[in-house]
Amino acid sequence: MDKKILKIINEIKLNKGEDELLFISENDLLREDIGLDSFDLAELTVHIEVEFDIDIFNDGNITSIQDIYKKLK
Amino acid sequence: MSFFYSDIKSEIEIDYNELVLDINKIDNYSLYLISTNYYDIFKTIILSLINDSELILLDYDFSENEINNLLGDKVNLKKKIHLQKPKFNNFSEIISLIKNSNNWRLSLFTSGTTGLPKQIKHTFNSLTRNCKTSNKHHNNIWGYAYNPTHMAGIQVFFQAILNQNSIIRLFNLNQAQIFDSIQKYQITNISATPSFFRLFSFDKTKLDSVRRLTLGGEKFDVNLKDKLKNLFPNSKLLNVYASTEAGSIFASDGEIFTINKNYLNYIKIVDNEIYLHKEILGEGTENKLLRNWYPTGDIVDVIEISPLKFKFSSRKNEMINVGGYKVNPNEIEEILLTIDGVKDVIVFGKQNSVLGNIICTNIAVDKQLEVPTIRAYLSKYLQNYKIPRIITFVDKIEKTRTGKKKR
Repeated sequence: MDKKILKIINEIKLNKGEDELLFISENDLLREDIGLDSFDLAELTVHIEVEFDIDIFNDGNITSIQDIYKKLK
Repeated sequence: MSFFYSDIKSEIEIDYNELVLDINKIDNYSLYLISTNYYDIFKTIILSLINDSELILLDYDFSENEINNLLGDKVNLKKKIHLQKPKFNNFSEIISLIKNSNNWRLSLFTSGTTGLPKQIKHTFNSLTRNCKTSNKHHNNIWGYAYNPTHMAGIQVFFQAILNQNSIIRLFNLNQAQIFDSIQKYQITNISATPSFFRLFSFDKTKLDSVRRLTLGGEKFDVNLKDKLKNLFPNSKLLNVYASTEAGSIFASDGEIFTINKNYLNYIKIVDNEIYLHKEILGEGTENKLLRNWYPTGDIVDVIEISPLKFKFSSRKNEMINVGGYKVNPNEIEEILLTIDGVKDVIVFGKQNSVLGNIICTNIAVDKQLEVPTIRAYLSKYLQNYKIPRIITFVDKIEKTRTGKKKR
């Protein structure tokens, strides 16, 4: 699962013309540490839904990588 | 003396006296204002009002191409307007003067329904029609959660300055900065889109100072209502309907709207579509009028005929609402079709839990193209919020039986 999330995040970053991340950690904040804006988060939720069939932002409360993992478990 | 404007991101705190001193020092302003500095934008609006002359507000992220399309390529974007004004002793003197700015026009741009964004010119009266000024409003402190070059942001600005209230920036800050600002300045009023709040992490935090919460720009989000009530336990929630053509018109405490008595003669519903009378519109809508009435494209479900009660259901035209920004898919398609290798495209909105809708495109190509290349190309011509985030390559674009694209 971790690798899939990293791949999705890197795809979003590459599409924006930014460098790929080598790794992500559970405590990373999506906005502050990973640098995603609300348009990127909208894109992230679509890709995760395609991959895992879960809309992670359905009830808000997603700010970190850890929050994503919790939703998908 | 209360703050005029505060912004923890830019570390600015300006009180009304400092604003007056600043205004006294300036002798010109840019007719075409492109700025990311909110204080500059606010100050320039006031300067143009004092001078009773025109101001054209452009989004800072408009590309050169978009500006050329909107204003023509011969426009002199550096044009300055020289000011003739007295020295002011305090902000009340400025308020008294600007209330008589009959020649002042403020141009804003709204996503056109047919292709390009269109320019709408507003008067002081049309923008302040719904502002409430009284002692009751004197101590309000505004959380500023809108883009200052768009209609909703302008309306909050006027509501605040006409009561000499503080404006505290919240737009484009992260949640921690937003919460800190609300607590530090004891913000009492926030007006925002549902998308502004949708990404908040709702824990047990309570922000007690907020008394009035106004939601607009997007369809009302019933799920959000309870969460906001918990976060802002002392607030009264108001849902408003506004358009760039007319400003804010209806308000409600939920998703069902009634019409204010003052507007009864200026609003009608034909085939479930809202029509607005030209009396309450800005300039620039004349050619869209049908016998003095402007069809808004907003479709409602009528719940009760007398007194009229309704709720919003959809848009008649194809505009996609992305976090409160209206996006015209035709505009994006036209640009995609200029890319070498693109045979056919369709741009459409897909429901999204973060922004209400997300822009998607299916592209039929006759040579290999990469998503980053397409995104980079579009960013030369389009503002960020208009760029499709989900790009899918397909063999062909499906058409309906009448030959129209299926969005």
